[in-house]
Amino acid sequence: MKQQDLAFYGEFAPKLEEIQALLMNEIQSMLDSISTDSETAVAEHIKCRIKDADSLREKLRRNHLPETARSGLMNLSDIVGARVITHFVGDIYTVVELIKRNPRWRVEQIKDYIAAMKPNGYRSLHMLLAVPFGVGGIDEINIEIQLRTIAMDCWASLEHQLKYKKDIKNTSLIVEELKRCADEMASTDLSMQTIRDLINRR
Amino acid sequence: MKVLYAEDEMQLSVAVTEILKMEGFDVTPVYDGQQALDALDKDYFDAVILDIMMPKKSGIEVLEAMRGSGNHTNVLMLTAKATVDDRIAGLTTGADDYLAKPFAMKELVARVQSLIRRNSDYRHSVLHYANFELNSGTCELKTDKGSLRLNNAEAELLTFLVHNADKSFTARQINESVWNGKESPEKAELYIFYLKNKLRQIHADANIQIAGDTYTLCEEES
Repeated sequence: MKQQDLAFYGEFAPKLEEIQALLMNEIQSMLDSISTDSETAVAEHIKCRIKDADSLREKLRRNHLPETARSGLMNLSDIVGARVITHFVGDIYTVVELIKRNPRWRVEQIKDYIAAMKPNGYRSLHMLLAVPFGVGGIDEINIEIQLRTIAMDCWASLEHQLKYKKDIKNTSLIVEELKRCADEMASTDLSMQTIRDLINRR
Repeated sequence: MKVLYAEDEMQLSVAVTEILKMEGFDVTPVYDGQQALDALDKDYFDAVILDIMMPKKSGIEVLEAMRGSGNHTNVLMLTAKATVDDRIAGLTTGADDYLAKPFAMKELVARVQSLIRRNSDYRHSVLHYANFELNSGTCELKTDKGSLRLNNAEAELLTFLVHNADKSFTARQINESVWNGKESPEKAELYIFYLKNKLRQIHADANIQIAGDTYTLCEEES
């Protein structure tokens, strides 16, 4: 954590870092239980992060909540978050099953934006997990794991970059075209999944 | 809808033009083959009616020149001599339909409407089956729950299967019927699997069933 984030999270900071490490380790060992061979690895990479103070404050403000660490921990679910990037669509559901079975947390909610994409074309699967916390009178907090393929991640990061450029012209055309790109990439994802299934069957 | 009408018999031209206008067409009458070519150079038409026997250039010559210059507008040929040879000459040159004189006005109108409908079918047809639709222009495949973009070969294959729903085909037959045998049964099989997975992904109430070595598109709840 950066100095300003440590200051913002205060007494909660050590526990948050502990949860981040736990999340990273658990995900890594679940993935290793499937394969430790990089040739057949399910995940392309995994990332964990603690939300930085600035974007947490901004999100709390947007939701008309007090701009404190405590308020964030009580009300939001993505203070600690992980992202698992897989090669194939099917791998996502393999990892979901492993996460469900892990006794370190309780699965609160699964939002499958792959089965039901968002209107802008966003695809990803979000899992909300409750983990024990036990600091400052907070018993447990929610954390979030996002799972997506390389193609879904590629689209999401481009879309994320464009969203913050305010002076883009032809906004409706851009939105429509981004949705088309998402649909094409999702289609390619499924073609590659199908090819892999055929290879494995033989 | 703009229609070019080339006919040298003045009385007939006036009558046909009047009736097509009453049916809502925007008709440009011309009176010989050369005028027809000049009009085609200058303007866009949704359909063309050509009399075969015309001064300066015959209907067949106009049609040859049109197709030679890459103009694929649908053409209806009018022929006085309703001989088989005449009809074959028109169709082999690239006419889309023909009508023998004398004809009933109603039939002419119906045939022109049919020609124009073929245009719009070709340009932006949206195919519906079960709860999904496929736009042949954009290759977008969607239901109200999801959407994907197919590639051309996938769209061609799915269009064929929708037109022949509930019928069973082997990979070899699919290769012959969809791609004129230019691809391979292996590719047909792979593309069937692509489509199976993609239909499932958008929650289509349809599936391609596999029985032995045949494939059948059927309605099936997602």
